[in-house]
Amino acid sequence: MAFDDLNAEYKARRAKALAMGGDAKLDRRRNAGVLNARERIDYLLDAGTFIESGLFARSLYPGDAEKTPADGKITGYGRVDGREAAIVVNDFTVKGASSAGTNMKKISQMQRTSKERGIPMVYLGESSGARIPDNMGAIGMGTLLASNASQYARLRESPWASAILGMSYGSATWYGCMADFNVMRKGAVMAVSSERLVSMAIGEKVDPEELGGWRLHSDVTGLIDIAVDTDEEAIDAVKTFLSYMPSHNAELPPEKAAPKGSDDGARDVASLVPESRTQVYDVRKVVRAVADKDSYFELKPRFGKTAVTALARIDGRVVGFVANNPLSKAGAMDAMACDKIISFMVLCDSYNIPLIFFVDNPGFVIGLEAERQKAPGKIINFMNALQLVTVPKLTVMLRKNYGQAYINMAGGQNAADVAAWLTAEVSFMDPTFAVNVVHGSEGSRLEETDPERFQREFEAFQKDNSVWDLAATYAVQQVIPPEETRSWLIRMLEVHRNRRTGDLGQHRLHNWPTSY
Amino acid sequence: MAREEVESEVTGTVWKIETKVGQKVAEGDVLMIIESMKMEIPVLATEDGTIAEFSVEETEPVAEGQVVVVLET
Repeated sequence: MAFDDLNAEYKARRAKALAMGGDAKLDRRRNAGVLNARERIDYLLDAGTFIESGLFARSLYPGDAEKTPADGKITGYGRVDGREAAIVVNDFTVKGASSAGTNMKKISQMQRTSKERGIPMVYLGESSGARIPDNMGAIGMGTLLASNASQYARLRESPWASAILGMSYGSATWYGCMADFNVMRKGAVMAVSSERLVSMAIGEKVDPEELGGWRLHSDVTGLIDIAVDTDEEAIDAVKTFLSYMPSHNAELPPEKAAPKGSDDGARDVASLVPESRTQVYDVRKVVRAVADKDSYFELKPRFGKTAVTALARIDGRVVGFVANNPLSKAGAMDAMACDKIISFMVLCDSYNIPLIFFVDNPGFVIGLEAERQKAPGKIINFMNALQLVTVPKLTVMLRKNYGQAYINMAGGQNAADVAAWLTAEVSFMDPTFAVNVVHGSEGSRLEETDPERFQREFEAFQKDNSVWDLAATYAVQQVIPPEETRSWLIRMLEVHRNRRTGDLGQHRLHNWPTSY
Repeated sequence: MAREEVESEVTGTVWKIETKVGQKVAEGDVLMIIESMKMEIPVLATEDGTIAEFSVEETEPVAEGQVVVVLET
């Protein structure tokens, strides 16, 4: 065959593969305002950098050869803001981007390259689940779905970012939940199986939004980090997330010079916190003011709201903030806040990102509901994870520090260094409750039954809970006015560089499952 | 017009209602303040909308998760 003929065949095959599931399906997406898989790749990657892996891959199932361009999952390498990444982009127009023999090999290849060569993985998800009939029966199951022993072994060698951009069941959901970052477009659905299958199985009509919509995952499950309105915003969020990440766990995240004016906000920090200790405030304003200008990227803002977890930069270096937010339940941490903080510590510990704790909470949430939500287990998991973290931890005590929550929020020896604002207070519990625990009797309160004795004991219990006694014991190393917070952090981040390892941590949380 | 039910996220007592029926509010605005754990905890608008009704009065005790305001969005 002459080269001309071979070239013609190459072009024809290529055009057919690039046509995806055909014009009719692509038009329907366009009319719905949703990007197709190849448009998403163009939006994600730097122009001209995509090298596709498996354009001519297809289904080997009898009769499906012509119907399965790229076998429904487009894979390859390209640069995201100048840095190499491996990508898996599901093409829903080809058999609902269902998982089948060939495309599972493609995903494995991307995961292998990511792991061995140290580049991030990006999943743009939308999938209907395992392909039928390929996976049906003993031969389907025996030869396909259980034939990869490392597919779900997450060891965080390199960051994974996922976007849920449509109906996601099966693989897109699994990878979204395993990823270090998961963004969802509103209107998309993330669930184990489709509402159609669920309705058939339980004989009841199910609303897809209720089954796996963005509100469920933002507010209740915490399985996504943020929700956005469009495909473009979701892909932008993936890029922003990766801008805070190293390409792999043996390097540091990229530094970015602090923009002009980054010191301005820090001077007014005190004005963001009310003088009255009974009033609340939004700690996110404090974090923003202390961090480099416009460097704040909050994860899971609608989940476990009593704590804030955010990536940001301090004088150009990437850091992770864990802050109690008095605006929500006075900052008292519940089970969801514990889960959120643990998963954030896993992220920071895995990718060499120092952690900064801002503390202001009256303790953990207690009560019947808290116990039903496994509060003891969550609290001690949080503590266990905290003590395994090997990236530098710095703590700033803003106002209230009480009980076990003081310890969990990297109090005392749990941080490399601790600074306390002049407004910081610390104790085991409120003296009113303490007097009743020791001197009261069940069912009555001492202040009612014997006010004179209560007053006497109260005074004995009301120890100095100001910062000065804590400083005297050296449990805080510096006492600072709020406006010095940023300069203290800049200085301490420098002091506590992990010089002996080139700033790398030991990544002892790298295999901690975070999809609680 | 959809109805958005806004709940108290804490158990406590309604201290101050800072808005009125018919008032337009934006997401994040303070609607009322609950006193709990000796703190003033605000109830914030969960979406942009207009206040349709209050289901509690000042000094009334509220439970966590109890609907305290209904917004029309």
